[in-house]
Amino acid sequence: MSAIAISGLTKTFGRTTALDGLDLTVREGEVHGFLGPNGSGKTTTIRVLLGLLRADAGEVRLLGGDPWADAVALHRRLAYVPGDVILWPGITGGEVIDLLGRLRGGLDRKRRDELLDRFDLDPSKKARAYSKGNRQKVALVAALASDAELLLLDEPTSGLDPLMESEFQRCVRQVKQDGRTVLLSSHILAEVEALCDRVSIIRLGRTVESGTLRELRHLTRTSIAVETARPVTGLADLPGVHDAVFEDHRARFDVDSQGLEPVMQRLATLGVRSITSTPPTLEEMFLRHYGDEDRS
Amino acid sequence: MTGTGTLLGFSLRRERIGLPLWIGGTGLLFLIQSVQSQNLYGTAEELAALRGTLGGNTAVIAMSGPVELLDSIGGEIVFEIFAFAAIIVALMNMFLVGRHTRGDEETGRAELIRSARVGRRAPVFAALALAALADLAVAVAIFAVAVGTGLPAGGSLLVAAALGGIGLVFAALTAVAAQVFEHARGVYGAVGLAIGAAYMLRAAGDAGNPALSWASPIGWGQRTFPYGGQQRWWPVLVMAGVALALVGVALLALDRRDFGAGLVRSRPGRPRASWALGSAAGLAWRLHRGAVIGWVLGVGMLGVAYGSLGDSIEQYILDNPEVAEFLPGGAADVVDAYLALTITMGALLAAAFGVAAALRARAEETAGRAEPLLATAVSRRAWLGSHLGVALAGSALVLIAAGFGEGLSYGLTVGDSGQAVRMTGVALAYLPAVWAVVAVAALSLGWWAKAAAVAGWVAVGYCAVVELFADSFGLPEWLLQASPFVHVPEAPLEPVTAAPLLAVCAVAVVLVVAGLAGFRRRDVGY
Repeated sequence: MSAIAISGLTKTFGRTTALDGLDLTVREGEVHGFLGPNGSGKTTTIRVLLGLLRADAGEVRLLGGDPWADAVALHRRLAYVPGDVILWPGITGGEVIDLLGRLRGGLDRKRRDELLDRFDLDPSKKARAYSKGNRQKVALVAALASDAELLLLDEPTSGLDPLMESEFQRCVRQVKQDGRTVLLSSHILAEVEALCDRVSIIRLGRTVESGTLRELRHLTRTSIAVETARPVTGLADLPGVHDAVFEDHRARFDVDSQGLEPVMQRLATLGVRSITSTPPTLEEMFLRHYGDEDRS
Repeated sequence: MTGTGTLLGFSLRRERIGLPLWIGGTGLLFLIQSVQSQNLYGTAEELAALRGTLGGNTAVIAMSGPVELLDSIGGEIVFEIFAFAAIIVALMNMFLVGRHTRGDEETGRAELIRSARVGRRAPVFAALALAALADLAVAVAIFAVAVGTGLPAGGSLLVAAALGGIGLVFAALTAVAAQVFEHARGVYGAVGLAIGAAYMLRAAGDAGNPALSWASPIGWGQRTFPYGGQQRWWPVLVMAGVALALVGVALLALDRRDFGAGLVRSRPGRPRASWALGSAAGLAWRLHRGAVIGWVLGVGMLGVAYGSLGDSIEQYILDNPEVAEFLPGGAADVVDAYLALTITMGALLAAAFGVAAALRARAEETAGRAEPLLATAVSRRAWLGSHLGVALAGSALVLIAAGFGEGLSYGLTVGDSGQAVRMTGVALAYLPAVWAVVAVAALSLGWWAKAAAVAGWVAVGYCAVVELFADSFGLPEWLLQASPFVHVPEAPLEPVTAAPLLAVCAVAVVLVVAGLAGFRRRDVGY
């Protein structure tokens, strides 16, 4: 059975169309990446799933129930981390964690304290003294300390430093090991690649791609800048190399994921002095694959 | 100092809406008092009669000022309004300086500014200059109003300077507090306490040992005796000196602390939630707690003040028959009419509290703080109901405080200890009407959330106009019928019967239930 099954979901606010026939299927026990540029409708989708917004059209099932009508019963089985965590200024982080846990129906105290430790969060500070990253940690600890079978995480790492981000990734892997389901919305491709079994990509309120990362591999392209001992030759003709600029001992180019291996073999013969590779940003990917034709 | 001028210009722009309201409000307050007092006590005999009535009333002296002020009509105006105007000016200075110093530092806005070519002291100087300009504007407004309503120019200049001077003192005090506390909330708490202490000290001093009044800037201001024979300018100089000294202290502290730090570290809170914070209702109580306590104390004190006048009111009405026109029931049953009118004031304030508390739900929702709660097993009815519950129960508490306070002090002046209980009962007769007003806000929260604030406050304002001005404005009867206050008995002037109370209560219940039902149907957060 699917933990989340959405088909043809539409939601408008006045004259703006936030969701325009969105489809999304999340299987039980998987970590599902929910990718899209800012403003593409990820948060709106999650709010519909939480029963905060009413769908205008389309079919939405969450854990086998109707998210609007059965909201309270379903919420006992899920935990949510908002993208922008806003807390009550006079209440401490520890109090918020306990409150949200109790409202959800209890939380594991041992795991709570362990998570506070892992995320290096001081629970006795009032929320007004927390940075954005620390507010995010409060919501993360509250969600991860629960036994919820489904986690809805809306860009949960946008305020975290790299150290905490890897801690977060460890936590999500643990959740997956427990057989629980995660919907992870993000606009960072690398984060999704590191964690997710399957990915759905949305744009302008519509699903444009959905499948395993392997299936979506054709979408990814790596930018490479290299400096070599011998002049760079014989690269431009290799399959999958794009936008190449050669300059004697230096080269900059993009290469499709399938074309990486022959490129690396060729570079190895040239004597690599330095090399940097950057994963493509989601925005670049969108520009390349979907152009601007329906951006109004 | 570098950048002070630019910062000042920028802060003037940030305050362009709020500041004129503070200044205009203070001027308006003085204008109303000046016109009213000159109408009521325009002749020397009327003034002498007033001095005779009030001179022996400790409660009125404690509320207003030293009785020596009552030797001229200008002095009478200062007696009645100066302390309150001083509190408003002090609050204005507190918010101005607090917002532009610690407030900006706490939110991180000041960091951006200080990273530019701006001196360390520039934000403080700019904030103080802003406050000084605002105080100057207040002084000009007060002077213009005083002279414009026919008061002598010399005294008007002195009263204006005294009010401005009090403003400067509290601006400088806020600058010191901004160095001491890490959060703007702490600054406002400390300075607010100082303003309260200044008022209480002069109250104790004017009613008892005058030395206490000299410990309060408000006391200095009143003791300039602006319109009297013994005018004094030197207290204004004292204010200026104290303000300068405080600025010096603030600068010393500023030069010795890190950006973002205070001299006092904020206390850590509980690392774990207590049992009380385990439900939507528990959270709502925690969020509203301070406001409930503040309103109960404030309105209770107002009730005490009203009640203390109850015994003098009969004499007062004989001296001033014009006032009787404002009382329901006219000059007969004067005391009951007075009690009914003042309890109605308390009920209107209770309704205002209730509406403010109910609207907090909307503020929570638009700030995004409802979302994490509604994503848990809290139903929409439980969440909105938690705020409405505090609004309804809290408004009842405020109303009880008004009645109990008024009954307590009235009972003390007439030697009847039963009055506290009686007046509490009298106040509760207004509870259905109070709830009906809160219910209007509840209804709109469910169905027209974007207009909820307007609907709630219009309901309060409409009831206030109908209750306080219907007779003097000659409003037509049909225009009054929508006010729930028209449909409950004017206790203790009229006998209390169950039927109208139950009917108004039923209306309130229907509106609240409809509001909760509406909230279950709409999108949250928009």
